[in-house]
Formats: sequence, structure tokens, C-alpha cells
Amino acid sequence: MSDGEIEVGAADAFADGDVEIIEVGRVEVGVIKADGEFYALRNQCPHDGGPACEGPVEKRLVGEWGGPGERVEQRYGDDSIVSCPWHGWSFYLETGEHIGDDSYVVPSYDVVVRDGVVYVQTD
Amino acid sequence: MIDPAEHLVVDCDWHYADTFDQIAPYMPEPWKTKFQNSGWDSTGVNQGLSAFFPTSTGNRSNYGKIDREFSDYPQGGDEKADVIEGMEFLDIDATLQISHLILAMGGVTADDRRVESFIKGYIDYMLAEVLDPAEGIYGLAPLPYHDIDASMDVLDRIEDERAFKGVVMVTAGASPPLGNRKYDPIYERCEALGLPVVYHTGGSGLDDYVRAGYEEMIETHTLGFLESNMSQIVSVACQGVPEKFPDLDIVFMESGVTYLPGLISRLDEEYLKRAEEAPLLDAPPGDYISDFYFGTQPLEESARPDLLEICFDMLGTEHLLYASDYPHWDYDSPNIITDLPMLDDEQRKDILGRNASEVFGL
Ligand code: FES
Repeated sequence: MSDGEIEVGAADAFADGDVEIIEVGRVEVGVIKADGEFYALRNQCPHDGGPACEGPVEKRLVGEWGGPGERVEQRYGDDSIVSCPWHGWSFYLETGEHIGDDSYVVPSYDVVVRDGVVYVQTD
Repeated sequence: MIDPAEHLVVDCDWHYADTFDQIAPYMPEPWKTKFQNSGWDSTGVNQGLSAFFPTSTGNRSNYGKIDREFSDYPQGGDEKADVIEGMEFLDIDATLQISHLILAMGGVTADDRRVESFIKGYIDYMLAEVLDPAEGIYGLAPLPYHDIDASMDVLDRIEDERAFKGVVMVTAGASPPLGNRKYDPIYERCEALGLPVVYHTGGSGLDDYVRAGYEEMIETHTLGFLESNMSQIVSVACQGVPEKFPDLDIVFMESGVTYLPGLISRLDEEYLKRAEEAPLLDAPPGDYISDFYFGTQPLEESARPDLLEICFDMLGTEHLLYASDYPHWDYDSPNIITDLPMLDDEQRKDILGRNASEVFGL
């Protein structure tokens, strides 16, 4: 481990959708694998302090409108999100932004995988 | 402080106190003949146990307390001259007329042509006998929105009539609520024609199809008007009407302003927890709602001044439109706006006339 990094564990121990909670200083961070990529977000919900990273990891549901009179069809889109299990606030894994209001952001951290090991960068 | 007599005053909600006797000769057949043979007479209810439109709880003149010098409200039977006299009395330069009788349409649940026939008759009657842009008397065309084809007929009828400046959708009783895709063709057409959609609440309904058993109008009028507007604001915003039709001007009429901060706050709170359920929105629904326009009447002038100030701040004084609701029992004169201490004179002028003039292209 180099300075400013915290070792999380073996990359191949993560399946898609897995979350590992680690300590970074005095805060908890959720390390999440989705679509083969790793993300790390503060495990503290800006709503009411809930464990934001401990809810389901999914694709965001999006709606597509086919034109006047057509139904808005819902489908799972490309963006991965995690939802706080306390009341459902949901955040993009990529940015930590709330999916409905980007003025709420969960701090995010860079994650690297080196020699099959996952590290969270804390600088 | 400004004097309304010296500034442009546009009244976005004057109720033409119509009667069925006036409208029926203009209705399409068979209702033209059926109505005239019905025995329902001017109010449409004068046959004991049946009526053209359903009625609602309470007595609009408050059992004889309310009197109108320039209208035959609530019985109806006004003429153009009454409107002109009333406008002079209130220092109003331009009005947007909305049928008084159509406000009961929400109670009609049958799949028949009563609403459509009334509206078509009303439009021809108003064009023939009342509307007069030279006198500042404009109209808003009610839509029989439960029937999209009939609504398109109405839009065909008014699209080249410069006396009609927008359409009205009566919010009471709209089912499915007015954000439903069913109504998209109406919005698409209004957007293309540049006609604002004025959602006008109504007193009918609360006691008939929301919760039976209210006894007095103070109850049904307080709650019903809010319920009807709130239902449609939530539907229109959450279903993404402003995203689907970004150039459509949306106006909500006749529930005052103090209900809006509460509704917006509650809806935005829900949105943070369930944003995927409003998938067309790019921002919290309150951001869209505060882009709507709102008629001011009946303005809660007895409310705490700091509450009104918050309302004006959240909605924006550039989004507020003076509305008298004359000759209805709880109408507001323009002085309601000019007397507000928390507004400056430019804001008063905006609310009294300049905003409406722009929205409705007067
Ligand atoms: S604490 Fe996270 S959604 Fe409420």
C-alpha cells in the first residue's frame, strides 16, 4: 500500500453489485462494484445520515416518451446507482450526485485496481 | 402606492354569469332542441329532481348576504353591457371571460355530449354577443377534455378568433388527472397555437366524488378548490407536461397562493425519495411548478405578511396574474394587489397587468 491509499481486498472477491464498507479516517466508505467497475462513496446519506451505500445497486430507471399520446416507457438505463435503504435517496456511483437533485452529493473517492487488489485513494 | 385606475389592469378570471337560456340556442343539435324542451330553464336545474349539470353543496350568495351591482350572479343572465359596467367599476382594462356554468362540468361522469354541446354553444354565443377585443373583453375557451376529438373541434373553432386568448381546463373532476398522456394532443395543439392552458379549479365535486357528507360551503369551498388544483398540479408536473411541451404556458387559477409552498415542499420531498417515478423530470417538480403562472384570487390577505412574502418569493411576482373572479361571491378588486405592503410598485404593475398582457398576448 502506498500513501493515500487504503487496501480493500482482492478484486476477484467482488461480484457485480457487491459492497464492502471500509473505514477511511473517521468515516465509512462503501466500495461498490457495478458493471465490472469499482466505485467508492461516503457511506453517509445527506438526507438523514443513513448508510447510503448499503442499499441496492442497480441501473437507474429512465423514461422514454415516444411522442404525444404515447406512454412514457420505463427501462433500466446505463447509469448505475445505489439507493440508501432508509428512505430511498439514490446516487450515481460515478459522481455521488443525487439522481433527482444534483445539489445533494455524496463524496466520492477514486478507486484503483493494481495486481488484482482494490485500493481506495484518500488524497 | 399605485392607483389601479392609472395602470394597466388585466383580469385573468372574470366569470361571465351565463344562463342556459342564453347558451342553448347556440348549442349543436340535438341538445339545442332537447334543452329548450327540457324545462330546466335558465339555471339548468329547474325541474325538481334533475339537472343539465350536477349541482354542489351550499349557497353561493350566502343566503342573501352577497349582492352584485353589475351582474345577475349567481342566477345568471348577464350581458356584454354588464361586463363593461363592472370593468369600469373595478378599473379593469381587459378581462378574460370564463363561463360560470361550465365550472360544474366536473360532476358530469356520463359519456354523453352535454359538456361538449354546452361549450360549443357557449363559444358561439360569446363570439356573437359578448367578446369584444376593442372593449378589452377577451375569452378563454373551455375544453371538453374528456373527449379529445371534441376538444380538437373546439380548438379548430377558436384558432382564428383573436377574441379567444387561451383555453380552460376545469380541474375539478378530471379523471384521469390532467398530466395523463390522453391529453397530450390538446397540449400539443395549444403549444403550436400559442394558447396558454388555464387550469381553473371548481367548487363542484368534493362532496360528490371525493368525500360525501360535508354540510356547508365553507368546508367544500375551502377544501374542494385546493384539492382540485393540487391534484392537477401534481399530475401535470410529475408526468412531465412541461418537459413534453416546453413552450406551453401553464396557468393555475383560483386557489390563492398560500397552498403552493406547502404543496411544492411536500412534492419535492417525495421526489428526493422516489425520483425514478417522475422519469421525464430533470429537476425537482417544484422547479417546474414555479415556472407556472398563478392567478392571485382569492388572495389570503389576512395571512401573516411574512407567509405571503415567502409565497411571492417562491413563485416569483413575474408569475402571478391578477384575477378578480368577479362576480363570484369571493371576488378580489385590484386594490387587493396594490395594498400589499411587501410588494414594490413595479411588482404591483407586473401582477396587475403586465404579466398577463405578455402571457396572453393582449
Ligand atoms: S437517510 Fe438516506 S434516504 Fe434517508
